[in-house]
Amino acid sequence: MTSPTLQQTLAVARRILLEFWRQRRSLIFWAVFPALMLLLFGLIYRNNASMRAGFDTTPAGILIGAALFFSCLGGTVSIIVAERERRTLRRLLISPLNPVAYFLGIVAALSTVACCQAAIVFALAFALGARYHGSIALGALIVALSVFAYVGLGFFFGARFAKRAEDVNGPVAAFGVPLLVLGGTFFPTSLMPGFLIALARFDPVYHMNEAMKGVAGRGEGWDQLAGDLAFLAIFAAVSLALGVVSYRRMLTEEKRS
Amino acid sequence: MTMLRMEGIRKRFGGHTVLDGLSFSIRRGEVYGLLGPNGCGKSTAINILCNLLDSDAGTVEVAGEPVSRRTQRRIGACPQEIALYKDLRPQENLDFFARLYDLSGADRRRRVAELVRLFRLEPFARASVADLSGGWRQRVNIATALVHSPEVLILDEPTSAVDLEARHELWELIEGLKQGGITTLLTTHHLDEAERLCTRVGIMREGRIAAEGSLPDLLALVPAKAIALIETGDEEGARSRAEALGWATRAYAGKLGVLLARQVSLREVVEAFDGIEVSSVSVQPVALEHAYLQVLHGAAPVDDAHAETVTEAASGAVLRGSS
Repeated sequence: MTSPTLQQTLAVARRILLEFWRQRRSLIFWAVFPALMLLLFGLIYRNNASMRAGFDTTPAGILIGAALFFSCLGGTVSIIVAERERRTLRRLLISPLNPVAYFLGIVAALSTVACCQAAIVFALAFALGARYHGSIALGALIVALSVFAYVGLGFFFGARFAKRAEDVNGPVAAFGVPLLVLGGTFFPTSLMPGFLIALARFDPVYHMNEAMKGVAGRGEGWDQLAGDLAFLAIFAAVSLALGVVSYRRMLTEEKRS
Repeated sequence: MTMLRMEGIRKRFGGHTVLDGLSFSIRRGEVYGLLGPNGCGKSTAINILCNLLDSDAGTVEVAGEPVSRRTQRRIGACPQEIALYKDLRPQENLDFFARLYDLSGADRRRRVAELVRLFRLEPFARASVADLSGGWRQRVNIATALVHSPEVLILDEPTSAVDLEARHELWELIEGLKQGGITTLLTTHHLDEAERLCTRVGIMREGRIAAEGSLPDLLALVPAKAIALIETGDEEGARSRAEALGWATRAYAGKLGVLLARQVSLREVVEAFDGIEVSSVSVQPVALEHAYLQVLHGAAPVDDAHAETVTEAASGAVLRGSS
């Protein structure tokens, strides 16, 4: 990466984080929502004697589904839509900003948010008696792949389907929430009927959850998680490519407007 | 030295021709006003200059260099809308855009401080852009376009959304920039703004420059020293009376305009139309507004012929039409 691209990436990330800081309400919601979900589901599973210590496996699903999903996917869609509505996208187009730096700047900003969310979720889970059993590096890789996949999808939905701020909730709810439920975010997939489990294997959220639950709750390593990691890596690459193509198309439309 | 040059620019969107041989050039240090009705192609011309759009034909140069991503750095463009991050403070907006232009630490801080001082933004150091009034937001909007010290500034209707007081303050600012020697392309619908700020003006009609020149040159296109604007219920009668007196007439924004070859007092005009139903009369010196309307509605219409006729008016203004 050339130095100007790095400087631009950091500038975009810094600006987004500064904006988040100024709109503290969003940050508070992004912290409160997963914390409450963790408490709720942790308590439900702990009360069920047939399940392994609820607070060991619950944080993984909550982090993937209730935290990263809304901050990284929903956050990306909001950033792009706001950029278009405020007409700042046009100003960015006139500037020498490299589109790759813009993309990576959003990834960097949302990765920072993701790290904070992971810290909050696991700190709360630890306080309630949970333990993290696996490799921290592997956990970080799963979070990074999830962030890339969500940001890529966010670019795709934001550029293609959400022209105004009011349009943001539609695609996120219509496509995202069913994927979260099917992916076993809020309950173990073992509760689902066979055909749904078969269907869930095509859901990237399922692989994010399985990988994160595996490493955090069961201490599984590279060998056991190779399938989930491969799926995630391919999906992250595909969604990034999809996001880049949609973003370029949006830029072309913006130039003509 | 010519800083901006558009020569024979053509641009079509689908079956619609937006620019049809647009040509003009701006010399270093000039403030050039690009005027014209909505839809005449001003925004498309700006988009081409900013390298956001490609032209179908013609030449576009910035300081002698064909327009490209590189020439974008020589241009500072201030869009018509307030294109800022409203949750950030003015200097944070400036700082962000300075970083995109690769200004490093000390240079960036110095430039941001310079602009804060020049645009008198010091009292708003702790306020977000969302908390500023329209006029102050527009100041930040313009300052942001200057953050990389461009050689050419493009101001797209900079005062269209501000009140009268803020407009006058922005004019002072733009005059200050003009004295600093920056080359400026200004589009506006406020003709008094163009009169006050521009060294030369181009009036666009149907995708090309229909007339161009300095303010005195353009004023000389109107064959009169003054214009009487008459609101009448008997337009035919008033027109006949004016013609009988040897005064030419024009339609000006719903009123009858009477072209007066010499400065005539209001009393003389009122007396001249004695006996005709007249509800209001005013006499005013010829202004850019009249030249603008003369060019848009008074001259021969531009037709679709390819050959262009350029007529050097006695005044020095250049009238461009098709034969």
